Amino acid sequence: MTEKIDVDPMALAFAKIMTIFTIIGIVLMVVPAILYFMGQNQYIPLSKAMDYWHESTVDFWKDVKGITVHGYDWVFENLQYTDCQSMIGVLLLMMTPLISMLAAAAKAPNKTYAILLLIASAEFILSIILKGIF
Amino acid sequence: MAAWWFWPLFLFIFTLVIGIISPVSGVGGGVLYVPLATVLTPFSVDFIRGAGLVMAVVSALSSVPYLLKKGLANIRLYAVIAPIMVITSVIGGIVGLWVSNALPNGKYYVKLLLGVIILLVFFIMITSKRLEFPEVRDEDVDSWSRKLGIVGEWYEPSLDRIVQYKIKNLPVGMLMFGVIGFVAGMFGLGAGWANVPLLNIVMGAPIKVATATSMLIITANAPAIGIYLAKGAILPVVVVPSILGITIGARIGAKVAEVIRPAFVRWLVIGVLFLAGVLNIIKGLEGLGYLPQII
Repeated sequence: MTEKIDVDPMALAFAKIMTIFTIIGIVLMVVPAILYFMGQNQYIPLSKAMDYWHESTVDFWKDVKGITVHGYDWVFENLQYTDCQSMIGVLLLMMTPLISMLAAAAKAPNKTYAILLLIASAEFILSIILKGIF
Repeated sequence: MAAWWFWPLFLFIFTLVIGIISPVSGVGGGVLYVPLATVLTPFSVDFIRGAGLVMAVVSALSSVPYLLKKGLANIRLYAVIAPIMVITSVIGGIVGLWVSNALPNGKYYVKLLLGVIILLVFFIMITSKRLEFPEVRDEDVDSWSRKLGIVGEWYEPSLDRIVQYKIKNLPVGMLMFGVIGFVAGMFGLGAGWANVPLLNIVMGAPIKVATATSMLIITANAPAIGIYLAKGAILPVVVVPSILGITIGARIGAKVAEVIRPAFVRWLVIGVLFLAGVLNIIKGLEGLGYLPQII
């Protein structure tokens, strides 16, 4: 008996894109983080962070950087720092299911599946916009 | 006080161990990581939940492509469930951070709730049966599953044949996935502990399909990462060692799983889960002043 099975083309498209973007995301997250741990260009100084990382996020940021974090600005406005660079990898990993769903929608067997995947994709994007409100 | 590098190193070793025992016991990494790291490390529960969510999503992203190609993860089922779980996991993430930041003593309420949820997981794990090949007759298939053509097949080596399967109770399953998404987003737990019994027992998916599709569904929790990142609750010092530890550990665990007795490890993990749940409840009650300081 062979193990030849029929795999949905939608599933294959999803899998291929997910593999590629997961690898890129992990590399983008880990490489700058190693530099960060080595003490290069730290936005959040580790020696100071350890005094406050037991606090809630709001108090932590107030005490370490004197700011209130709201949205992704703390990442994008500080890309010269290695810890913020590492967050780009996290962002890409977060977006990977979205990119994979769009690739799968293009290979959907009918309109119903294409619409369902596009709704989930729209919700993904909406949730990223909602962060500015909450 | 320990140097700063002690805690990332601790997290790396800690998640390495979790990564090893996860594939052996069948318990997802996130569900062990969040309650134990909350108790064992000095990091705020916000940072731990953020890292727990990233860990759960990265683990799923790493394994899902293989499971899809083998026919084990069902993308049609995912396409129906994802629109529900994406939105409810985001709402859960917002509510979780609001509770811990806006309410006085909010972080203690979160610890208390986390403990209750962990004990719920504990009871689900000790009471739920795993059905390897549930029988779904033609008349059991609901009209939505039938119209959407949610069926699948995979090659099962133990039977040396291709197994085909159908799904039932899709509308009920969709409703329950909404609730699971909310809880997963709120506590950064991943959701395998709830997805698998739901897919297997309620919806009639074979256990291997339920486990694989659960991993696929967990990727729908990814937008909740954005909520934690936007609140500054994701720090490289917590996330990166945890991701590296669980990734390396899971590879070792997959090999260990071939030689160790899974039943023993499974019960060991269930015991640890119970302990973690109780410890979180005690810490929450201590913080709220309902208990004297005992741990």
